[in-house]
This record gives sequence, C-alpha cells and structure tokens, in this order.
Amino acid sequence: MEGTSPVQSSKNEYSNLSLRLLDVSDIDDFMVWATDEKVARFCTWEPYTNKEDGLNFIKNTVLPHPWFRAICLDNRPIGAISVTSNSGNDRCRGELGYVLASKYWGKEIVTRAVKMVANTIFEEWPHLERLEALVDVENVGSQKVLEKAGFQREGVLRKYFVQKGKSRDMVMFSLLSIDPRPQI
Amino acid sequence: MEKIDLSRITLRPFKLEDADDFLLFAGDDQVTRYLRWKTLTSKEEALEHIKDVCINHPWRRSICIDDRSIGFVSIFPFSGDDRCRANFGFGVAVKYWGHGIATKAVKMAVPQFFVDFPHVVRLEAFVDVDNKASQKVVEKAGFQKEGMLRKYAYHKGRLTDFVVYSFLSSDLPIVEA
Repeated sequence: MEGTSPVQSSKNEYSNLSLRLLDVSDIDDFMVWATDEKVARFCTWEPYTNKEDGLNFIKNTVLPHPWFRAICLDNRPIGAISVTSNSGNDRCRGELGYVLASKYWGKEIVTRAVKMVANTIFEEWPHLERLEALVDVENVGSQKVLEKAGFQREGVLRKYFVQKGKSRDMVMFSLLSIDPRPQI
Repeated sequence: MEKIDLSRITLRPFKLEDADDFLLFAGDDQVTRYLRWKTLTSKEEALEHIKDVCINHPWRRSICIDDRSIGFVSIFPFSGDDRCRANFGFGVAVKYWGHGIATKAVKMAVPQFFVDFPHVVRLEAFVDVDNKASQKVVEKAGFQKEGMLRKYAYHKGRLTDFVVYSFLSSDLPIVEA
C-alpha cells in the first residue's frame, strides 16, 4: 500500500482518545454498542432493545457508579470502561471492565484506554493495591488487551461464574499499584 | 507419634454439646492463624459461635474422632451470578496435626457437599501463600492449583497473596493413590 504506513494512519484517525463521564445525553451513542450482539457476547447482559432500558442503565448504574467513564473518540462515546470498588478485607482490590463498539475493534483503542486507567486509578484511589480483570477463556481479543497493557496473567479459574446460563472458565489478570505503569 | 486409624474420622453437624471440644481448636491461635475467625476465648463464646454460626451455616461439619469434635469443614455457596461456586475452608486441632486427618476429612466432605448442593459446580479454596500445610492438604485431596492472586485481600490486617485451588463436581470421583 502506498503512502503512510498502517500504524501512522491509524494513529491520526484515532489519536483523539479521551475518558470522561457518561451522561443521559449520550444515550444515542450508548445504544450503538449496547444493541450490538457482538459486543454483548461475553457480557452478562443481553443486547438492549429499547432506549428506555438504556436510560435506566445510565441513571441507575452509571451515574452512581464508583468509577465509570465513556471511552471517547473526538469527544463522542464509542465505549465504556469502569472499575468496581470493594469494602472491608477486599478494599485493596478493584475489578476492571470495558466495552467498545465493534466498528472500532482491532485498533488498540481499548488497550490505550486501559493504560490511561492504569495510570490514574492508583493515584485517585490510594487504598487500591490491585486492579484485576476476569476474561472468558474464549475472549482472546480481550486477553491480548490486558497483556499489552502490562497486566499479569495469574491463572484460569475453572467454571468460575454463570454467564447467560452457562458456567464459564475465566482467566484472571492483575496489575498491582507496585507494578511498573504501562507506557501510554 | 502414635498412628491414628483414619476410619475413626467422621463428619457430622455441630451440636451445642461440642462447645468444650470446639474451644480447644477455635481457641488456639495456631488453628485460627489463617482463618478469618477471631480466636475464641471462652466456653460462652464457643456456645455462641456454635449457635449463631455453625448451626445456621449452609454447610459446616464437625470433623470427629470417635464422635468427638476435633475440627471443622466449612463450605459456603455464593449467590446470583456466582451461585455455581462455593468457598471451602477447614481447620483441625493442633494435637491431631500430621496424621492425614484434614486430608481425609476434605476427601469425605467434597462428594457429600456436591450431593447436598447439586447446582454448585465449583469448590474453591483461597489459601494464604505462607500456609504450606493447608496447600498440601488440598493438593492431596485432589484440588487443582489454578494460580496465585497477588495482594488479593487483607487477612487480619495484612495484605496477602492467596493461592487459589478448585475442585469441580466434574473432577469426581476422587481417585485414591
């Protein structure tokens, strides 16, 4: 192919990546990935079928969430990334989750978003020692994201939880506050 | 050390009458060291613990020798999306360490539990990385080591690495060496 190399051209088109809060006014962008069965495949939820359910999710889950951000390209949400918090003996640990509109898959966008989170969450939450993520054994794309973002693969938890009626094997990944931060 | 005939080991629910025997192990720091329990300090606390925790527990059994309580096996199923799994724990009085009693008790408990809770497909044991003795017990009993979870949780104030083991209902039957 003539002209700029593939890496350079993708950097120009997708370079303006940012994380910000998601609001009810983002509902139409939200519905783009929320209705996509490719996106929902490894999630606990079924693809959304109506805007009202989407609005309820934003109002009831996103707005009160301890840490939820829209992944934005040129300030338009194309996905989301979040970290849960725990209490008591588990307060040292937070679980990372993310979702991206399928149109934007394969361009290292989620990897960059994960690196952004890894570079701010431990400062925002000084009590956090461990950021972990559980990925379905069949979700190879997501496993690659975490490996590229510097997470350590700790093992496979067999039949760990029920997803859409079936018990699934999950790969456990972690990044500790003392691990080297991934370079953005 | 006198050899113990492991056919004397049985599992049964706890009774209030076990309080004195219960205190012998639950009141011992060596036994509670890697447990979430606070070491008990009196017979009253032992009675309370048996009444409030053991008897109401979804699946807790006394490990007995000649029907006298010398330890426990505790299996706690989760709920919601996590309902296919249960947390596994155990402890034995120090006097009875080194005879294979815990291993025997774990081997007896596992198939019994899966019969009682058929919707649970996974037993998991989170063992402190320093607790080599318990790691050996679950390994000998047929649990599979899955990995080490770094700085996973606090245990009695200390940030702890845990080795995670699992036993699936599909791993049954336990093959005797």
